[in-house]
Amino acid sequence: MTEPATAVQLPRHTKGKRPHFFDDPAIDQMMTFLLELTTEVGVLRDRLDTVERLLDQHGSVTRAAIESFQPSPQLEDERNAWRAAYLKRVLRMHTPD
Amino acid sequence: MVANPKDIPVPSIEELFQPTHDERARQNMVSMIRKHAIIDMRKAMKDDYDNRVEPKLEREGGKPEDWAAIEKSMEHEASYRFYSAMRYNAQEMCYLSVQPTVERALPQMIDLARDLARRRPVGGSLRLNPELRLPKYITSLDVHLAPGWVHAEHTTDDVAQGAVVSFGGKVFTGQHPYRKKPGAVGESISWWLRRKFPDLKPRRILDLGTMAGKNLFPYCDAYPQTEAYGIDVGAPVLRYGYAVAQHEGYPVHFSQQDAENTDFLDGHFDLIVSSFFFHEVSLKATRKILRECKRLLAPGGVMVHMELPDETSVSAYENFFWNWDTLNNNEPWYTSYRAQDPLNLCVEAGFEREASFKLRVPDILTFGAEKHEKFMRGEIASPAHGSGGWFVFGARKPL
Repeated sequence: MTEPATAVQLPRHTKGKRPHFFDDPAIDQMMTFLLELTTEVGVLRDRLDTVERLLDQHGSVTRAAIESFQPSPQLEDERNAWRAAYLKRVLRMHTPD
Repeated sequence: MVANPKDIPVPSIEELFQPTHDERARQNMVSMIRKHAIIDMRKAMKDDYDNRVEPKLEREGGKPEDWAAIEKSMEHEASYRFYSAMRYNAQEMCYLSVQPTVERALPQMIDLARDLARRRPVGGSLRLNPELRLPKYITSLDVHLAPGWVHAEHTTDDVAQGAVVSFGGKVFTGQHPYRKKPGAVGESISWWLRRKFPDLKPRRILDLGTMAGKNLFPYCDAYPQTEAYGIDVGAPVLRYGYAVAQHEGYPVHFSQQDAENTDFLDGHFDLIVSSFFFHEVSLKATRKILRECKRLLAPGGVMVHMELPDETSVSAYENFFWNWDTLNNNEPWYTSYRAQDPLNLCVEAGFEREASFKLRVPDILTFGAEKHEKFMRGEIASPAHGSGGWFVFGARKPL
């Protein structure tokens, strides 16, 4: 038997010059913070939705039940509709002058 | 011959990718942000240009005449800045979102890929070349904003990049209306090929820059008697792709080669394909690779490459849209590739102009067989590239 592979840490950094779209590069950095945070709220919402459904179904919830919860295709459609509407609310653009 | 996947109990390397509840939630959320950027924000930017920016410039004396002028008129506008920031971040996040899942699955994925490469239950082959010099256009920056792209090796017999680009790619296209199904390109082009060249019965097919082989498999279905070959410069994606092909029942021959200079014999292939390949390589490499295609094709052989539409094929605004990637998306070759007329590229490679072609073919899954018949008769046009159609160019060698 071959030696087990030591735990690999994949690189999180992309090679290549990063563009900036705003005059102050700090705004580009803030956009990354914002989009990551927007994503995390969405993740939290999925988890809460799972918890609510488990409670509805079983009257109790465990971490194991959350992990093994498999959304049906219809539920994935519902969640995607929520995600799309959520992004429209959060990423609301001003009307230009 | 394609073996029946149901008869052969080969484990699936893809099923080892098991996201936690929250990892999957993250991947799904990122898919939607990517869709929001490439569909919704893109439309908002176009509307802003059409309804506010261009009319204002026209009133002031001159509307932008070419894509570079449009870019100049838009680069300080909010609609452009936020579209760009969102698109760039969403793309990075696609790969970041799958990395933890891949890291956890990696030891098992490596063991399975190694075992399948040794046993070869469905046939085919995996031929790697550790001495291959990776082209600079691969090593100098991370293509597609994917850290490590197709080639980084993190450990012995590594397959991580195969999983990262495959699953990251699924997140990338997951909510895109025309790209949800991997293999849509191969299915669409092979559908068209069988009707355009009904006499073509390829003994051997080659896919350039095959990565994990997903573009190649539909051709194996379309031409069941063919021998399928895929080449790429990255070993990790080939190892991964071989394992996927074994599970799916495709006896593909994968080899680690540079498409500029392969070790296949003259005239070895009847069909050479590629998907979104040429804009990833330098223009110099493009010319060499097309000459290599001419060498590799048998008499009567066809090459067909799905790629971005060239500059003359689309409007100035569309050129502004496509060329965004050159400056902003680690795609340095987009603009210089698109400035070439693909027909000229074919002729420079030694093909006859009358035997060369460039056109949009419909995405068969969304267009449907009935409308496709009308398209083949010239009665209706294909949708635009990326919006229900696929731009292709290629040529046929004389018999």
